[in-house]
Amino acid sequence: MNRRDLLKQIALLTGGAVIGGELFLTGCKTGAKADAGFTAANISLLDEVAETIIPATSTPGAKAAKVGEFMKVMVTDCYTQKQQDAFVSGIGELDEACKKMHSKGFMDCTPEQRKALLVSLEKEAKEFNQKRDEADKPLREEHKKKNEALAWKDQTEFEGSPSHYYTMMKQLTLLGFFTSKTGMTETLRHVPVPGKYDGAFAYNKGDKAWAE
Amino acid sequence: MPENNVYDAIVIGSGISGGWAAKELTEKGLKTIMLERGRNIEHIKDYVNATKDSWEFPHRGARPTQQMIADYPVLKRDYPLNETVLDYWVKDKECPYTEEKRFDWYRGYHVGGRSLMWGRQSYRFNKWDFEANTKEGIGVDWPIRYDDIAPWYSYAERFAGIQGTKDGLEVLPDGDFMPGMELNCVEKEVKQRLLDHYKGSRHMIIGRSANLTQPHNNRTNCQYRNRCWRGCPFGGYFSTQSATLPAAMATGNLTLRPFSIVTKILYDKDKKRATGVEILDAETNKTYEYKAKIVFVCASAFNSTWVLMNSATDVWEGGLGSSSGELGHNVMDHHFRCGANGKVEGFSDKYLYGRRPTGIYIPRFRNIYDDKRDYLRGFGYQGAASRGRGIEVAEFSIGAELKDALSVPADDWGIGITAFGEMLPYHENKISLDKTVKDKWGLPVLKMDVEIKENEKKMRIDMMNDAKEMLEAAGVKDVKTYDAGYAPGMGIHEMGTARMGRDPKSSVLNGNNQVWDAPNVFVTDGACMTSASCVNPSLTYMALTARAADFAVKELKKGNL
Repeated sequence: MNRRDLLKQIALLTGGAVIGGELFLTGCKTGAKADAGFTAANISLLDEVAETIIPATSTPGAKAAKVGEFMKVMVTDCYTQKQQDAFVSGIGELDEACKKMHSKGFMDCTPEQRKALLVSLEKEAKEFNQKRDEADKPLREEHKKKNEALAWKDQTEFEGSPSHYYTMMKQLTLLGFFTSKTGMTETLRHVPVPGKYDGAFAYNKGDKAWAE
Repeated sequence: MPENNVYDAIVIGSGISGGWAAKELTEKGLKTIMLERGRNIEHIKDYVNATKDSWEFPHRGARPTQQMIADYPVLKRDYPLNETVLDYWVKDKECPYTEEKRFDWYRGYHVGGRSLMWGRQSYRFNKWDFEANTKEGIGVDWPIRYDDIAPWYSYAERFAGIQGTKDGLEVLPDGDFMPGMELNCVEKEVKQRLLDHYKGSRHMIIGRSANLTQPHNNRTNCQYRNRCWRGCPFGGYFSTQSATLPAAMATGNLTLRPFSIVTKILYDKDKKRATGVEILDAETNKTYEYKAKIVFVCASAFNSTWVLMNSATDVWEGGLGSSSGELGHNVMDHHFRCGANGKVEGFSDKYLYGRRPTGIYIPRFRNIYDDKRDYLRGFGYQGAASRGRGIEVAEFSIGAELKDALSVPADDWGIGITAFGEMLPYHENKISLDKTVKDKWGLPVLKMDVEIKENEKKMRIDMMNDAKEMLEAAGVKDVKTYDAGYAPGMGIHEMGTARMGRDPKSSVLNGNNQVWDAPNVFVTDGACMTSASCVNPSLTYMALTARAADFAVKELKKGNL
């Protein structure tokens, strides 16, 4: 499984291309902020969100893989400003949604309560992204028409509205965990220098997958 | 360094072609200087990311940062923009160019050039490739035939180390290969089903590549890490650093000078010979001259032509080689990024061990023998079968259930193939000098005016539909076609602009890669190509370079240069 396949898989699981660092042909004027405004409390909360998505089982989970910190790095470096803003305000929105559901903040909830919240956010995010896509569609079409009338170098990229914050968190959890040392070497199997190739290697049900 | 900067030979560029020129000329006893415009990258020592794992990169090599996107306006257009290999690509902003039409130019300005990052697929052109232009009235005739280059292909393959199988196909001639890498169990099955369905007329073979399957010349065989483009600490694939440079250095005849931008070839119009080159030191901005009896121009297709365009302009306004009216013209690349993929059932008890650095290849089957299409030439496919990760989970699952599902291989294997098509040489597809734009060193830049035309567009329909038809014929399920779009340059196979030919009125180079107007100047990289074939071109540059170097030294000894 190479990096491209991993990105594809995450896209499939979260209903949309992996956010951040989209390869735009033309001008880049996203003005991403060098400091997206993460606090230590944010990182702790993101660690717990990630741990709820990929928990410790017989192998360590997302918190041990420091996925909260990874999210901060990716959002700060790879996201556009619009995406950064959606992500950072999403941290507060998630906690608000939690208070509504369980009458307490995410950090104070039990693993079961956290899971219940995230499952509801899965549904909310799916609906949100679908509505967003519908709303963006005419704008995207219009932008495309405008572009077609321009010389190619004057064309610009269409930047749609950001995805639901939970979609971002889930994508970064999966990406961060399965490229981390523990994810690659304990949950998955990793051989840095295989030394040979076997194209019909025996597989028994339950054997772990290769990390790459 | 010899006195007065005088050598027997100068080689401009240190990539695949330049490295070969340096090796051949030094081994034949010529004191040679190889001039490279960028920095040095030392074998192994400077492959700083070669042994890192994903978690050692801040963004895991998964997504580019906004800063990278801002800094690399060209590189960002496709996969090359990646933090694991960022240092191997040119800093776009220091070296701009003008796009009359979109042209994606991915460059490596350092010792080794793109031989460090290349795809390593290595195929011979076939006999029809050298005859097609004249038979079809396209461009000009190649001045050589397959038999002229065949022994040089063997010579190049034996030194470079090309793994592959001998398949006995006229369309893809066999070579002097190392044992081929293995097709995996699904590829073997698909290969057989294709043979059965198409009654032996369509073949799936292992992608022939410049990866060692046996130790060779102090190089270790491939360790199946599939991290070639970061530089291989085992020397497992062919690059200037792993192969030609050490051979050239071992002769004691080579001087390597990095940070040397050749600004022009010095030309004596009375003797009709080059006398040397002028360079700009990329670090100090000082100008130096080097003198030699012969000059090999191997700066990569477009930059070789850029050097010619800036040379002997007092004799020809358009530069050395422009008397033909063809210098800068007939740009070619390979057009690709369309094909199909799907899944293969029934192999859930089989998996892969190791990461093979090549895939499968399906040689051209269009417009050969009795096949006749509404376009000229054809295409081949590259691809692979593999088993991805993750079994299906119910919608909205998270937690241990999701983790477990993503920790095992998928039930089914996947297979995908992508076509690489031949692009015809069109006179109007050209590069020229844009003197209104200057690079970091104040030098004029190139302007690209290249597009694909009807022939390529018609071919792309077949490239996509044939992929689907073949995969379905082989029992692949859920087959989906795609055309991800192509812009010239994306193939990173720039060819043409100083083509070989039989007539100085319509070609820049003769059949020995000599510039018609300066027989001691040889251009042997992608610039020399008269047509493109549909196979990856680098092996042909190696063979042509070795052949031209052999000729050059013989002529030199005869006193003809």
